[in-house]
Amino acid sequence: MQLTWSDEDEKFRAEIRAFLADHAPGRPPKGKDARLRFARDWAATKFDHGFAGPSWPVEVGGMNLPFTQQVIYQQEMARARVPSHPGTGMEMVGPTIIKHGTPAQRERFIKPMLRADELWAQAFSEPGAGSDLPSLRTTAVRDGDDYVVTGQKIWNSNAEIADMFFALVRTGAPDSRQHGITYLLIDAHAPGVDVRPLRDLTGAAHFCEIFLDEVRVPVANRVGAENEGWRITRTTLGHERSAGALNQGAFYRRIMDELIALAKERGVTADAGVRRRLVDFDIRARLMEVNALRSISQTMVSGEPGPSSSISRLFNSEFEKELHEFATDLLGAYGALATDDEDAIQRGRWVGGMLRTRASTIGAGTAEIQRNTIAEQVLQLPRDPAMPPR
Amino acid sequence: MNFSFTDEQEQLRSTLRRLLSERASSERLRAVLEAGEGIDRTLWSLLSEQLGLLGLGIPEEYGGAGFGPVETTVVFEELGGALAAVPYFSTVGLAANALLTADDEAARKDLLPGIADGSTPATLAIAERGGDGGVELAAVTTTAAPDHGGWRLTGEKAFVTDGLVAELLLVVARSDAGLGLFAVAGDAEHLAREQMSPLDPTRPLARIRFEGTPARLIGTDGGAEPGLRIALDRALGALAAEQAGGAARCLDMAVEYAKVREQFGRPIGSFQAIKHKAADMMVQVESAKSAAYYAAWAAADHSSEAALAAALAATYCADAYVAVAAENIQIHGGIGYTWEHDAHLYFRRAKSSQLLFGAPDTHRDRLAELVGI
Repeated sequence: MQLTWSDEDEKFRAEIRAFLADHAPGRPPKGKDARLRFARDWAATKFDHGFAGPSWPVEVGGMNLPFTQQVIYQQEMARARVPSHPGTGMEMVGPTIIKHGTPAQRERFIKPMLRADELWAQAFSEPGAGSDLPSLRTTAVRDGDDYVVTGQKIWNSNAEIADMFFALVRTGAPDSRQHGITYLLIDAHAPGVDVRPLRDLTGAAHFCEIFLDEVRVPVANRVGAENEGWRITRTTLGHERSAGALNQGAFYRRIMDELIALAKERGVTADAGVRRRLVDFDIRARLMEVNALRSISQTMVSGEPGPSSSISRLFNSEFEKELHEFATDLLGAYGALATDDEDAIQRGRWVGGMLRTRASTIGAGTAEIQRNTIAEQVLQLPRDPAMPPR
Repeated sequence: MNFSFTDEQEQLRSTLRRLLSERASSERLRAVLEAGEGIDRTLWSLLSEQLGLLGLGIPEEYGGAGFGPVETTVVFEELGGALAAVPYFSTVGLAANALLTADDEAARKDLLPGIADGSTPATLAIAERGGDGGVELAAVTTTAAPDHGGWRLTGEKAFVTDGLVAELLLVVARSDAGLGLFAVAGDAEHLAREQMSPLDPTRPLARIRFEGTPARLIGTDGGAEPGLRIALDRALGALAAEQAGGAARCLDMAVEYAKVREQFGRPIGSFQAIKHKAADMMVQVESAKSAAYYAAWAAADHSSEAALAAALAATYCADAYVAVAAENIQIHGGIGYTWEHDAHLYFRRAKSSQLLFGAPDTHRDRLAELVGI
């Protein structure tokens, strides 16, 4: 299934393909540092040639593309297998600064963000504030032209390489919940910042903890007004997420093909039960793409992605978790090997994926919170009266 | 190709939905079912005469409006949502598609105009009495023998949807040359039809006995299979749209009830246990719509993916509808277990349409072949 594009859209596709043909960096090097350098160089190349920030305004160095061309942009970048932007949360903090920041903040932060001259990480979750993020306790106390920030953040991916954090901190009374939260941009290299790797259940450290001990943050780094940080945390621009939604479907179609190949190789597809379960996963991978096509088409027509987009995250996260569980089952006893054993199948990718995707239904809003959100915000079911007001 | 509906298609949906809410209400449906025939002839006339929906997907040269699978999908979805007691699926989803995909211009010219104007309810008979049911062409045993320039059919079909009200029966039968498609008039001689007692009272089923029944060969003797395969894929797409529409209605019913039904002093929809069920139902409903639309778009586009999309939609939508219809009963609790409540009618429709046209595993197996597993 394919979308149809206007001549102008096709012209844009030709432009971006030409740019990629000339500048796409090819295969990534080995080694963590070299790979990071590689990704940063690519971000700079994109920016310097005017191919960064597809949905962001031209004034800040973005492309301000119409939605259709954002979709093309995402498709072509995925097709060229170029590295993704290093760091975490550019698509969150960028639009927030662009929409709610001061001219000085836009001037100071956006270009280095787009060029990956400065890397960012998100500092929202706390040990005591996961699903109930409005209960966060890291405090920021005003002292002259600074806030003095003390507290602990957790589950911060890329904090170890970040130059800046975008953080939610408490400026109101301890029980002020979402009415006492302020959005701060914190220098990751400032005195009092301590970033420690957090070893997760996979055995590796994909996340960090951030300890903040009387860190001085200039008031000039506050985005929006004091105590009004909560309402701007979900700022996005031009349905960026819908524009990239097709890629996840295409990505999982590839993974399905690889899993089917593995199942055949291991001779398990002779079993009708296995074959049918593979088919069910294949159906879901294809529906992921159709769901994305629907959201994209709907956005093109009406400017809003519609109901199929609201279920995508839940659909996709449950899918990737169950897919890796099933893949591991297909390995038989080899599914009981850790990823580093010399007999591990395909270097343990399926077992590793099974462990890694435990996070799919936890991170960035648990599946349970997703269900609450769908039920309350899309289906309009009443709030739990025992819950604090939104 | 754009994967959203045009303004005209959305308008068709809202017009039809309004008409169905007025003229195909639950009360009306109950009255029709009480009357016994299982068909709402008033609604049928409204759909055919007032809205021209019978000919919607039939080309203009055969008396239709010349639209395609995307438009008819909207109709199937809405009729499925209302459990409308009309032989639309049998007539349009099965019979019209069988004629359109058969290689027989003369038969199309003769038979399609009657379908397009609503005067000839029709259906397609494949499954044999005593067989496994379903739409497995290889299992057809009813025989066709040439007779004085025409044909005569002998055998007994079962599970024929709307088989009693159909005035045109398209019958798959076997001659010495192989499988053929045959047209039999509802009032033909040597034809005996009786109502089966269906799980889903809104979709009547018939046993039909052919005892040397005169028939007209459609297409070539022994050459029915390629056309029928395409027709069945389109029918499965239509059925999937009905299923998606029915599932969507079940979700609406469950959500509306959960907002007003109070226990422990608060609406049950404020409990997470209910919310999470509703959210999971919505995931299935939206994905079922995606699957049904995918099948429709692929068919409209004459895409090479059409067969795959039909099998995908048949598998996913059938299971999703059953699951959502069952959860709808559960969320309604006691009231959902009563005869008076419509929840069981949707559950019956869901289960019966999951099984009548090839159980989901048969579609899974076909899908496995198509994607190369």
